[in-house]
Formats: sequence, C-alpha cells, structure tokens
Amino acid sequence: MERIISLGLEIGSATLILALVSMGLALIFGLVRVINMGHGAMLALGAYLAWTLTGNGVPFPLAVVLATVGVGLVGLVFEVLVIRHFYEHPFETLLISWGFYLVVTELIKIIWGSTLKNIRNPIPGTFSIGEAGIGRYEAVVCLVSLVLLLGTGFVLYRTSVGLKVRAMIQNREMALMLGVNAPRMYRSVFVAGAAMAGLAGALIAPMFSIEPDMGTLWLVRSFFAVIVGGLGAIVGGTLVGSALIGGGTVLFALVSKQVFAQTVVFALAVLALRFRPVGLLGRR
Amino acid sequence: MTTPSPGFDRRALMKAGLFGASAFALPPLLTACSPKSSDGNGGSSDGPIRVGVISPLSGAWTVYGKAHSAGFELAVQEINEAGGTLGREWELVIADSKTEPQIVTEQANRLVREEQVDFLAGTFSSAERNAAGPVATQADKLLLYPTFYEGQSQEFYPGVCNPNIFMFGPEPSEQVWPHMEYMVEKHGGKFFMIGSDYVWPRETNRLTKQKLEELGGSAVGEVYIPFNTPQYGSVISQIKRSGADVVFLSLTGSDTVNFRRQFAAAGMKDNFVVWTVDDEEAATSGIGPDATEGDYVSFDYFWSIDTPNNEKFRAKVKEQHPDVIMNTVGVAMYNAAHMTAMAIEEAGEVSTEGIRSALEGMTFDGAPQGSITMRAEDHQAVLPSYLVQAQPNWTGPDDMFKVVQSVDSVEPATAQCDNLPLSEA
Repeated sequence: MERIISLGLEIGSATLILALVSMGLALIFGLVRVINMGHGAMLALGAYLAWTLTGNGVPFPLAVVLATVGVGLVGLVFEVLVIRHFYEHPFETLLISWGFYLVVTELIKIIWGSTLKNIRNPIPGTFSIGEAGIGRYEAVVCLVSLVLLLGTGFVLYRTSVGLKVRAMIQNREMALMLGVNAPRMYRSVFVAGAAMAGLAGALIAPMFSIEPDMGTLWLVRSFFAVIVGGLGAIVGGTLVGSALIGGGTVLFALVSKQVFAQTVVFALAVLALRFRPVGLLGRR
Repeated sequence: MTTPSPGFDRRALMKAGLFGASAFALPPLLTACSPKSSDGNGGSSDGPIRVGVISPLSGAWTVYGKAHSAGFELAVQEINEAGGTLGREWELVIADSKTEPQIVTEQANRLVREEQVDFLAGTFSSAERNAAGPVATQADKLLLYPTFYEGQSQEFYPGVCNPNIFMFGPEPSEQVWPHMEYMVEKHGGKFFMIGSDYVWPRETNRLTKQKLEELGGSAVGEVYIPFNTPQYGSVISQIKRSGADVVFLSLTGSDTVNFRRQFAAAGMKDNFVVWTVDDEEAATSGIGPDATEGDYVSFDYFWSIDTPNNEKFRAKVKEQHPDVIMNTVGVAMYNAAHMTAMAIEEAGEVSTEGIRSALEGMTFDGAPQGSITMRAEDHQAVLPSYLVQAQPNWTGPDDMFKVVQSVDSVEPATAQCDNLPLSEA
C-alpha cells in the first residue's frame, strides 16, 4: 500500500511540476500560435530574479510574485517591440524567439555570471504517510501548479474573456469580425505566458540548479508535453502531456533503467503523435 | 545564425579575447598578441612557446571551466614573470570545448595545424579527453590532462594508455580507495551508487565495487542517469527502499545539483550518508549549504587544505582571479604548466620527446597540495588524497569543507595498458 501511495506521489509530483513549467508555453502556443523558444530563458530569468531578490532579504513568496511580474514585463517589452509584428509568420517567430533565448541567456551570464546559484529551501521538512513521503516545498509547488491549472481553466471556460479567447482559437476571423480586440488579446496572452514562465522559474528555483542554461533542461520535455497533450487543449492537454512525459518516466523507471525509461517515454510520445497528430486531447 | 568562417575571423576573435584578458589581468602575457612566429614550425627555437588550452568555457560544464583555464593562466603568468622557459615566453591560445567531444576534436586539430602550438593542455571530461587523444597521437603532440578520471584501461586507447598524454588528476585508486575503510567502518558497507551515464562514473563504480567487496561490503543499487535529467523522485524512493548506508555519487554538472537538492528536500539526509566524488567547490556552491551539510567529498586537493604552498596559492588566486572558484581541476592545470616548464628546462628544447622523457618521474614540490610526482611507467600522478565533510552553514569555499582524513601521497593502481612503460609502447 505504501508503495502505491509513494508511487502516486512521485507520479503526481513529476506531472504537476512539468505541467507548471510547460503552462506558459502551452498558453502562448495554443492561443496565439507562437512557438516560444524563448520559454527556457524566461524560466531562467524567473529563477535568477528570485535568487537576487531573496538574496537581498525579500521574503521568498514576495520574490516569486515579483519575479513573475518582472518576467511578464520582459515578455511585454519583447511583444511590443518584436513579436506583435510577426503573429502571422509562425516560422519567423520561432527563429526570433530562439534569438531571444540566446540573447537573454548571454545577458544572464553577463549580469549574474556562469557559476551555479542556489536558493535555500523555503519550507524544509517532509510530509509523511507511513514510509511514503514528499518534501513540503515540493508539495506546495505541486499545489500551486494545480491551482494555476484550475485557475487557467476557470478563466478560459467560465469567463467572458475566456469565451473570446476560445472564439479566437476556434475561428480567428470570425472572432475578429465580432469585435474581439485581437492585438490586445494577443498581447495579454503573450504576457500571461511569459509571466507563467517567470512564476515557474522562481518556484522551481529552490529545487533545481540555477544556471544560465537551466531552461534547456525543460524545453524539450515541455514541448513534448504541450504537443502530445494537444494543440489548443490548454489545461487538459498540458496535464495529460505532462503525465505521459513526467509521470510515464517514473512508471517505466520502476521496471527498467533510467536511460531506457526516458527513451521509451519519448518514443511513446512520437508514436502518439503518429496516430493523433493533433495531440491526445487536441482538436482541429 | 551565422558562424564566423573558421579561418581568420575566429582566430582574430581569439586574439582579441586574449588581448582583453592580458590587458586587464595578465600584463606579462601581452606578447600573446604579437604575430606568431613566421617560420610556422611549432618546434622553432626562438619566439614564444605556444600552448593550446582547451577548456569548457560554455555548455554543461562551464561551472568547472573557469578554474580549469585560470589555473593554467596563473602558472603561465608565474613562468613568464620569472623570464619564461629557456628564455622564451609562453603564449596561450585558449579554445572553448563547449563541453562537446566533437568540438574538442575540431579545436585540437585547429590548435595543432593552424595555431601550431607546441603542446596541448586541458579538455575536461573523459569523453573530451578521448576525443583529443587521436589528434595528439596523429600530430605527435603532448596533451596535459587535469581532471579526476576513471583510470587507464587499454580499451579506451588512444584516450588513455597513450604515450602522448599525461594525467595530472587523481583516479579512483587515489580518490576513492584510501577512504573506503573509514567510510565502511564508520557508516556501513552497503553502498547505493548513482552516477551520470558515461565512462567515468561507470569505471569509478566498477573499481569502487571491487574494493568494497574486499572490505566485506556490497553495492545494493547501481543507477545511471542520462545527462540533463531534472527530476529524481523515482530514484530517491529506490534509494529509500534499498537499505543502503552510503549513497556513493558520481553525477556531474547540473544533474548532481538537482539530485542533491531534491534528495535533501525529500528528507533523505537524515537516513543516508552521502559521499560524492564529483562535487568540488564549484558544484557544492551550486547545491548550497542546506543540502550539503555533513556530506563527504574526496579529492587530491581542496581550497581549504592547510599546506604552506596552498596558502600562497590561495593568495595568488584571490588576487588574480577573485571571481573564480578554484578546485582540483584548476590546480592540476597549474601543476601541469609548472611541471612542463621544468621538463622543458631539463630537456633543453621544446620537443614532444624531450618533454615526455623529462616529465616521466618528475617530482614537483611547488604544487598547492604539497609534493607530487609524475609516475614514469604509466603517466599517472602520485598525489595526496583528502576526505572532507561539508560544514554546517558554510558561506563559501573558505569554510565549506573540513578534512576528515588525509593521506600524504597515494601511488595509483597500475594502469591497465597493454604496453608499459608507455614511452616504449
């Protein structure tokens, strides 16, 4: 029984943390069709902002909020200056956001240097259920991820803003004709996605190595999670994709070596895309 | 994305970089910017001695890269301040390996053919060294290799067992074996081994297991992790169930940081002892004090060891490279440069054969860790070995580690090469 609880916790944690990291990517990709290669740099930026702020005596929760706002602002500047001119050109945005990744990563190296940084675990200790257990901070991050997913779901499916956004995904031209203010909507979505990356970066910072390239660790996994989950199925898709990529690795690692587990999961993802090119929960 | 054409542009860039570095930090190295000797022969007897240094300045192992190149630069600065070698100044050409073996091959070839360096120093991981090995052999240039490594075994020739390569770092019989009795007696003989998935961790674990079994212990788990794995939940519960006494760790780069932070957050440190053979001062800095307290590390050198040489060395590093976290690899680079300078003086010429025979058996008393010797038969360094423990609430390399056990000089196990001594292979 404890084995099962423990396994459940591992799968849940792997899934929710990956979902947290992927959410910003899914939002931008799903709604405004920009493949944001800069996502990894935004994660790193969130982590570095949180590091600097906590280092200067700002309490960790406030540092997370400020890092979220900070990366959101960077996203806003990037959108206003560059991205908004290229929404009709997905390939160009891919290259441009990759350029953004390179520039921001180098800037991080210049500002913060390339030595590894760390943030003290803000909530040490563990929650235990018999032999099974989970780090308290990890549990809190999972909870935040869940709240973020539910909150995004609520906004998208229960509010008029969400209605407009979904209208835009389903039929862009029709939505435009019905008076949806597209430029503003696009900007809000892009900034929200950037802010989510900042939030994720700041939240995972105490659990992971803070370094300029830290985003690359997540970029491939996040992309798979988002694409396998399904284009446009933002909340459910991200969750299902993350469960397959994150949770799947945990499950396979039970019966095989780590190398094999990680490989099999990606092979499964490719297979899933072969038979459902729009993703598991995606729709045209 | 365009890359500069591999010929003039990149070289010009490198020189500009060196100019910047020397203008600000290393005045005696200004000669590095002078046009290279026109005869185009690396072995020429006038003009500067040119050294190609391959360091991981970007990519996954950047964190170790700064100490790596800084250690060599520091020694070269000392050599040049003392008037050079045979009256000739040293000139460095620094190349970035980007932590990728194929780039190492490219850069090593470039350094040898275009830059016409007299010998090579550096490369970081075993995979990088193995990539540089064939180039060193073909061009008949020496490679001075600084990193802690898995020992030499013929199957990895020409990366090891190569008469043109000298190893200045420790291998498992020096880094791990001297401390196993202590660890087994104090904490128990059940080891859980976790390492990155490549040759160094696998060979290190193989040799560690061999010794462990002699001591009556055993490996209760052995896991290899692909590079760039972010989450370790499943491995951590595997360790929890294993009944291990000691978690023996040879993860590298960001993987070791991620694992150890998650290991600590999961409350595992109360029940398991951690012994890492990778996490020197730079990696430990990245993990932080809360997640490292009480953990063991073993190497031939630590920043905080108390020797007269190290005191002087520390002062110099603080003055010349205040932002560098110095470590075992940087010190090995430092020793490599000094010992090679002595070898050139002894040989009376800058030639592969001359340096090789002079380096073989050479003892160097100026090493930060004390006196070290390059063993003649298999080109492995005879080094001290330290086991240290991370201190509670450390604030930086100065107060990070406390020595638990040390051995002044360890003869490494004999290399598993087909032909020894190497110089007659």
